[in-house]
Amino acid sequence: MDITRNALAVESLTKTFRDGGRGSVKAVDNVAFQVEQGEVVGLLGPNGAGKTTTIKCILGLMRPDSGHVTVFGEDAQTNYPRILSKMSAVLEGSRNLYWRLTVWENILFFSALHGVASPADKRYFDHLLKLFSLEDKRNVEVRKLSQGMKQKTSVVCALARRAPLVFLDEPTLGLDVETSLELRSVLRELSCEEGRTFVVSSHDMAVIQDVCQRVIIMSEGRIVVDDNVSHLMDLFRTRCYRIVLRGPAPEGLEKRLVHEFVGSSVAEGEQGAEIKVNLSEDEDIYRLMDILRGVDGVIDEISHEEIDMEKVYLEVVRKERSFQ
Amino acid sequence: MNLGTVFGAVFRRELTMIRRYMVNSISSLVSVYLVFILMFMGFQSMSNYVKTGALEGSLEGTIVGFFVWTFTIYAFSDLSWSLISEAQAGTLEQLYLAPCGFKWVGACTVISNFIFSLVPIMVLLFAMMATTGKWLNLDFVSLIPLLLITLLGAYGFGFALGGLALVFKRIQAFFQIMQFVFVGFLIVPTRLAWAKFLPLAVGNDLISTVMVDGARLWELPLNDILTATAVGAAYLAIGIVIFSCCENVAKSRGLLGHY
Repeated sequence: MDITRNALAVESLTKTFRDGGRGSVKAVDNVAFQVEQGEVVGLLGPNGAGKTTTIKCILGLMRPDSGHVTVFGEDAQTNYPRILSKMSAVLEGSRNLYWRLTVWENILFFSALHGVASPADKRYFDHLLKLFSLEDKRNVEVRKLSQGMKQKTSVVCALARRAPLVFLDEPTLGLDVETSLELRSVLRELSCEEGRTFVVSSHDMAVIQDVCQRVIIMSEGRIVVDDNVSHLMDLFRTRCYRIVLRGPAPEGLEKRLVHEFVGSSVAEGEQGAEIKVNLSEDEDIYRLMDILRGVDGVIDEISHEEIDMEKVYLEVVRKERSFQ
Repeated sequence: MNLGTVFGAVFRRELTMIRRYMVNSISSLVSVYLVFILMFMGFQSMSNYVKTGALEGSLEGTIVGFFVWTFTIYAFSDLSWSLISEAQAGTLEQLYLAPCGFKWVGACTVISNFIFSLVPIMVLLFAMMATTGKWLNLDFVSLIPLLLITLLGAYGFGFALGGLALVFKRIQAFFQIMQFVFVGFLIVPTRLAWAKFLPLAVGNDLISTVMVDGARLWELPLNDILTATAVGAAYLAIGIVIFSCCENVAKSRGLLGHY
């Protein structure tokens, strides 16, 4: 592990929530990953996968049962809270802002908590407001802003602290399509321009696909995939097939396919039965052909299915659940 | 981390909040004044029971007691209520991300609030003095240090209840109870040896001596000043320890961002 290049290194992080005598839930289970400086990493996972708990443990807002967090080569626990000068965050489900203060007052307050308050810093705040199209809302109280503007203000406040490692937990939650696109574009621009390290947690696959270079998929508190977004997409592109049969689907085909290939589906199309199947191994294509031959299915068309992050994600999560 | 920058930020935030919530600030002050008026109207019948150190039963003593009680309530509730309202608003976790540590942000909030509470409480004091016609000695050089010493205990309670609020969330009933408990601390006669170890009691006596008898800080018994300081510091320390324990529990259970 090259510590000097790592903005963040998480080792064996575990967090269990105990509910009195009623049992316990392992929210984060032996999680380990590294994030290089300047990298934009997506943290994906269904509800309860442990994304927010992982982020809060890294930030020191929750105390993990075990594990080790290193931020820019410094041990986070022994250097807490000083280490927070290197991190900032927008946290999911929180307002993150004072609604009775204006956009500008919020920026000044939260950045000053990080000791960022020089005239040059203020010029940078102006730059951020311009970038996020919030210039004309500068002196408006946050409570009077739309949900999208509030969210953008939260992100601006996190960025204004000039911390080199930024966590954005569900930054596009509740945003309309236009604002979400705008936020994504600004995040891409900022990661290129400033070389800051971002960890973006989101349910929104498009955000991860659009903004992140690497994705970590979590399920049931564990990391199930840690790969480059482009590599992951290529991998799944070669595995996802769309097959159109001549005529309706033979009886028992769907049951057989679902049994053999997790996540497969059969639908009746205009031309004939349309099969969507994900093949995880190279030799699976031969098994598929054997199955089709066995039910006298006549193939009319075969092609790779268009793949996006959502399909990759669903496939990974389905597969993970089928193993449990 | 420059604590001056943090203090400046917290001070400006508090000032802005007071301006934005001006109606609320004034109405709470008016309601405290109305309570005093009711007390004043019933003063003659109550005076036999209201004792403030050496000034048992006097109207002046009651004004001083009410003045100190108001300061106490401001000090105690500012800290604990602000923790609850920050948790409700969802900003508490952001304050916990301050590199100086949350305790310093809390300390800056306490100092700012003390400064901002001086003006309305002084207005209230003048209103009380004008209403009763009893004009007390306002030697600020003596009063401010004594007030700070006296309020240490109240801040201790504020830290303790704030900590409990982090873990148990809805503990508003405690706040109501504490207001009456503080009245008890203020009226308990300090000639009783054990009463000296209660928060507020000795400090309140010293403030009474300054405001009613016109004594200066350096004319007061050094023993009493040291006792008031030690007792206040001890309650503050206990409050901070309770807060730290509760903070640990809240972090372990992941409760900081919940309300």
